[in-house]
Amino acid sequence: MASMATAERIGKAAAAPRVAHARVSVAGVLVWALIVTGILAMAVPLVMTAYISFFRDAVVVFPPSGYSSSWYTRIMEFPRFGDALGTSLRIAAMATLGSLALGIPASLALVRYRFIGRGVLNVLLLSPLTVPGVVIGLSVYVAVVETEIATEFPLIGSDIVLVLAHLLITVPWVVRLCVANLVGLDRSIEEAAANLGARPWSVLWRVTLPMMRQGIVAAALFAFIVSFENIEMTLFLIAPGQTTLPISILQYLEYKVDPLVAAVVMVQTLVIASLLLLLDRYVKLSRIV
Amino acid sequence: MTDTYLRIQGLTKRFGASVAVRDVDLDVRQGELVVLLGPSGCGKTTTLRMIAGFVEASEGRILLEGQDYAGLPPYRREMGMVFQSYALFPHMTVAQNVTFGLRMRKLPRPEIEARLAETLDMVKLSTMAERYPRQLSGGQQQRVALARALAIRPKVLLLDEPLSNLDANLRQQVAREIRALQRAAGLTALMVTHDQDEAMMMADRLVVMSDGLVQQVGTQEELYERPANTFVARFIGHSNLIRGMLEGGERLVIPGATIGLAGHYDSSGDCTLAIRPERARICAPDDPAARITAKVEDATYVGAHVEVLLVLPDSTRVILHDPTDGGAARRFAPGDLAGIAWDLASERLFDDAGAPLAARSPVHA
Ligand SMILES: Nc1ncnc2c1ncn2[C@@H]1O[C@H](COP(=O)(O)OP(=O)(O)OP(=O)(O)O)[C@@H](O)[C@H]1O
Ligand SMILES: [Mg+2]
Repeated sequence: MASMATAERIGKAAAAPRVAHARVSVAGVLVWALIVTGILAMAVPLVMTAYISFFRDAVVVFPPSGYSSSWYTRIMEFPRFGDALGTSLRIAAMATLGSLALGIPASLALVRYRFIGRGVLNVLLLSPLTVPGVVIGLSVYVAVVETEIATEFPLIGSDIVLVLAHLLITVPWVVRLCVANLVGLDRSIEEAAANLGARPWSVLWRVTLPMMRQGIVAAALFAFIVSFENIEMTLFLIAPGQTTLPISILQYLEYKVDPLVAAVVMVQTLVIASLLLLLDRYVKLSRIV
Repeated sequence: MTDTYLRIQGLTKRFGASVAVRDVDLDVRQGELVVLLGPSGCGKTTTLRMIAGFVEASEGRILLEGQDYAGLPPYRREMGMVFQSYALFPHMTVAQNVTFGLRMRKLPRPEIEARLAETLDMVKLSTMAERYPRQLSGGQQQRVALARALAIRPKVLLLDEPLSNLDANLRQQVAREIRALQRAAGLTALMVTHDQDEAMMMADRLVVMSDGLVQQVGTQEELYERPANTFVARFIGHSNLIRGMLEGGERLVIPGATIGLAGHYDSSGDCTLAIRPERARICAPDDPAARITAKVEDATYVGAHVEVLLVLPDSTRVILHDPTDGGAARRFAPGDLAGIAWDLASERLFDDAGAPLAARSPVHA
């Protein structure tokens, strides 16, 4: 859902400049038709889900016998809704903090210093962005299972494994956003701080990090969303009784489709949409994705 | 010099194979404003950055009050720097910017408040204390940058092209303000610029650099009247340079003509004659004072003077500034022949290596 919302934003951002010099031409009409189709294709499932979540009957039939918002009040009836949402939020929060703790220093090192292995670090930090999530999930799964066998310590389904796995996909985003932010900073501002008597740590704490604030906030929100909505990788690493919200929705959908699950999807979408709205105040999404 | 405050000895900076600054020596007295002047890329900023401690010198020493500053990090140098880009902290107010250095020094609060008020007053920004840099004009930002550097009462004030981001009208005014503040505070200052007027206006002494090398150190008058070489002669003010062969100590032979020099020189061979546009005059070609004849190419009235462009027989172009009142330039039309005259005091001759030759009065006067 989040990726749809993201894609929709990008679609809009890309379309915006065309509005400025729209002319009536075959190409113009075609482009507009494509854009409208694209937006519809992305919006229809969401609108349908929202629509269904207000059906009165437990069984989805068209037309519905009536409408009600009772599914939202009964949301706790969704199997382990609280647990799953809690796990999702907890994992996302830890992955966010962890990726900031790793990503900010890494970005500073990448931008500010020339060292042996810099190129390698750069590739390593950004490569998960190019590898499909399922592949990462599978490899993490294999690694974790091997470790379990070697240590006889149950790891699958534990928070630590989920967080570590999510770090693989959140750190690259944090690095990417922070590096973009750092590259744009005037180096002489930090020199001015040193010139005025600030030691290196003071410069970092009082000047560099505050100037990176926008990048850091954006990185945190992005990391949170990426972790919160992740399915492909998480699928391999959950255990019975320990699952995230997107996965419990997926599992539920294998058995039935009803207004309750639609309501749950809407709640999840709202969480992500509000984070994206917040994020949009900090970065132009079209520039970084 | 006995009262040297800041001493720079053999300062050199290499970036890989290229040399940005070569063997610079400079002594600065307390309370003096010295300007480093030179064309783009000649190593001015690099010199300043070595003094501030941002760049490590490849060779040479920087001594302040006799103490060697080698290896001392920037934050312990007590040198206030004003950056070309101002480098204000965008997330801090004017007051926070100005007090940053004081807070780093952990001064007591009342002292910080007092110095803030005093410094803002000095740069006339007292009403702007709570603004952020982005809410200020370029000139105001420049003053915050200056105030921030002054607030720490630096041992040396370093200014890297402090006026280059201001518009032309403001530049002179701010130049005077900076000069007045520096004088009032008795600050030792080193400023970098590539703008000659700015340098002439503000400096106690100037250092002319080119290609990483110091070409000449001196007062405005010394540089103007006694340039150490052809580079300085051309760079400070303007000089027409005419290349030729010195014969008999008082004739400069150029292709197609011979210039009768005003002075006598104990030398011979390839030489360069330097004549300032405002120190020579145009006259009739058969005037006995004429030292050479040239063809008038153009004459433009520019208000303060008439700018006359002449071409010598060897096609060297010469520019003269003829007075608008009583000058002779207006009697000549493009294409006319004219004489150029000057006296001994305005004549500078440099040998093949670019070093000045001493003139004697001619033997036959
Ligand atoms: N970090 C660096 N690495 C390599 N070369 C450098 C570096 N900094 C400066 N240089 C070179 O050193 C030379 C002097 O540079 P510098 O910035 O000191 O010139 P400048 O006199 O201040 O010129 P400008 O008037 O354009 O500011 C230039 O050729 C420049 O390319
Ligand atoms: Mg410079």
